[in-house]
Amino acid sequence: MAISVLESLRVGLADIAMRKVRSIVTILGIVLGVMCIMVVLAILAGMNKSTMSWMEERGGLSKVEIGFNWQYDFKKGGEAKLNLAELRTIKSLIPEARAFNPNISSWDARLRYRDKEYSAQCFGVYPDMQIVDNWFPDKGRFISDIDLRESSNVIVLGSSVAKEIFGNQNPLGKKVFLKNQVMEVIGVLSEKYWEQHGGGGMWGRNALEYMNQRSFIPLSTMMTKISPGSKVDQLEILAYSPEEALALQKKLRPIMLHIKDGKEVFRVSSAQEDMLEMQKNAQIFSAIFIMIAAISLLVGGIVIMNIMLASIKERTREIGVRLAIGARRWDIFMQFMVQTVLITSLGGVFGLVFGYLILDMVGKYLQMPMTANNNMIFSALGVSVGIGLIFGIAPAARAGNLDPVVALREE
Amino acid sequence: MEIIKTQSLIKDYLLGKVKVRALDGIDLIIETGEFVAIMGPSGSGKSTLMHIIGCLDSPTGGEYYLDGDLVSNLPKRALAGIRNRKIGFVFQSFNLLPHFNILKNVELPLMYGGMSFSKRKRRAEEVLESVGLSDRLKHRPNELSGGQRQRVAIARAIVNKPSILLADEPTGNLDSQAGGDILEIFSDLHAAGNTVIMVTHDPNVAARADRIIQIRDGLIYHGDLSA
Repeated sequence: MAISVLESLRVGLADIAMRKVRSIVTILGIVLGVMCIMVVLAILAGMNKSTMSWMEERGGLSKVEIGFNWQYDFKKGGEAKLNLAELRTIKSLIPEARAFNPNISSWDARLRYRDKEYSAQCFGVYPDMQIVDNWFPDKGRFISDIDLRESSNVIVLGSSVAKEIFGNQNPLGKKVFLKNQVMEVIGVLSEKYWEQHGGGGMWGRNALEYMNQRSFIPLSTMMTKISPGSKVDQLEILAYSPEEALALQKKLRPIMLHIKDGKEVFRVSSAQEDMLEMQKNAQIFSAIFIMIAAISLLVGGIVIMNIMLASIKERTREIGVRLAIGARRWDIFMQFMVQTVLITSLGGVFGLVFGYLILDMVGKYLQMPMTANNNMIFSALGVSVGIGLIFGIAPAARAGNLDPVVALREE
Repeated sequence: MEIIKTQSLIKDYLLGKVKVRALDGIDLIIETGEFVAIMGPSGSGKSTLMHIIGCLDSPTGGEYYLDGDLVSNLPKRALAGIRNRKIGFVFQSFNLLPHFNILKNVELPLMYGGMSFSKRKRRAEEVLESVGLSDRLKHRPNELSGGQRQRVAIARAIVNKPSILLADEPTGNLDSQAGGDILEIFSDLHAAGNTVIMVTHDPNVAARADRIIQIRDGLIYHGDLSA
């Protein structure tokens, strides 16, 4: 019967404790490799989470957007605008869409209320905007189909606009001037909020504050009264799922081309496609880092193998003595195998500890929650044990195959 | 009863491409409880003989019976168990593990024999006490004198009650005082019924034994010793 793994562990631990400096040097490669894997995976997970919540807040992954194509050379002719007839055509061709919101934005929309003035970006929209942007009124109501049909003089304010103009007063029912039109405030939208990470952006901590500074009127009111003759420059369409959004995007591209006589004046994009693109980039990024980590682990493993081989050469006589007093080849093999695995696991543990410290630091710096999950811990430990097993075999086999007579003669 | 019996034991070595015969047909019988000295000049084959008797090596030809069992044709891995149970080694240069205290050193054969942790600690303490080192259990070998180290080695050799005690020049690295003490211990062990086989080239040491076996050129020499 061979000695138990427990005994091998005991012997291995004693050996490591005896050769502290050597053991520390030996595990450096493993520590770095494990640390690298962990930090990269955690940062990626954090980024993904962050991106997802940003997408969610901006209307989710089922959205398709049609807008100005910056890559198109407008010298070739064409205009990135849609008239009502074109809109009707598009809408009739995509009955599978869940919501349909063409809009016109006006940048010089000054709102006046008594002696107060507020420069808000104003949008002419469809009632569907609520659904497309997942954005609903906090007070009052949103623009209705009747408002749209009758080109009513009604306006819905973003939360910051309402606060700026009305302070603590109730804005509902109040009349404000927009250009030369008197508009009735019928609703105030809920506050859009998404905490910005990595220091203040253009709008302070809330990355979506710009949306709260907008106001909305019926599209028809915009086209007839506020800026007569204007046309739709942006179209948002919501599908029932991210997959359907991709299908819709595919279907809309030729439609848009056809409507504009083959001129690619519009860009048809979907949040899902952008997301997949980003994920692909993230995957390439992580693959590169994982490869670097793998190389570091490989080098670490080779270093360990060499140090163990040297250590065995140095301890040949000890091995001879152990063999003489009754150790089996298997016992010697196990002794060095367990020792190598112990060293590499120790490297894994240190790698995890340092990884956590770095994640903590990076997380604080980026103000991004760094999540190291259990999976990572298990895979880091699994990898380090695996390296011990792979690179421990050769040294352990050499030790186990020593001839006792020869080993005892060694000085 | 015969504890050791060899019949025309042959051992060849390959030295580069040349075959060297170290043992050339040794016929040897050692009885249980005997104290035997093996003598011979260096290169005579006495170390090789001891390695084979101690199951560290296998003969090229001939037969070796240990305790009535034929062990000469056993595979190498089977020899480890026999070494552990039946043979206790004492070396000229002590061969203690320098990083372990002497208690751990003495425990080692018991560990490889599969004895439980607490049991082997008790047994090792007991044996170290019998060689007069019970106050040094936690010391490391380099904190002890040569004579004390050799006593630790003897304790390690006898800790699992082996059938034979094999000593290779056990006094070779010791001054005459310490050497005398060590020989005293061997005599005591012999008196207690142990079989002791000692390799030496010192006639004064060999004189302690019941019987002296002379090896010359791989053969037992029966001629006149004084010649």
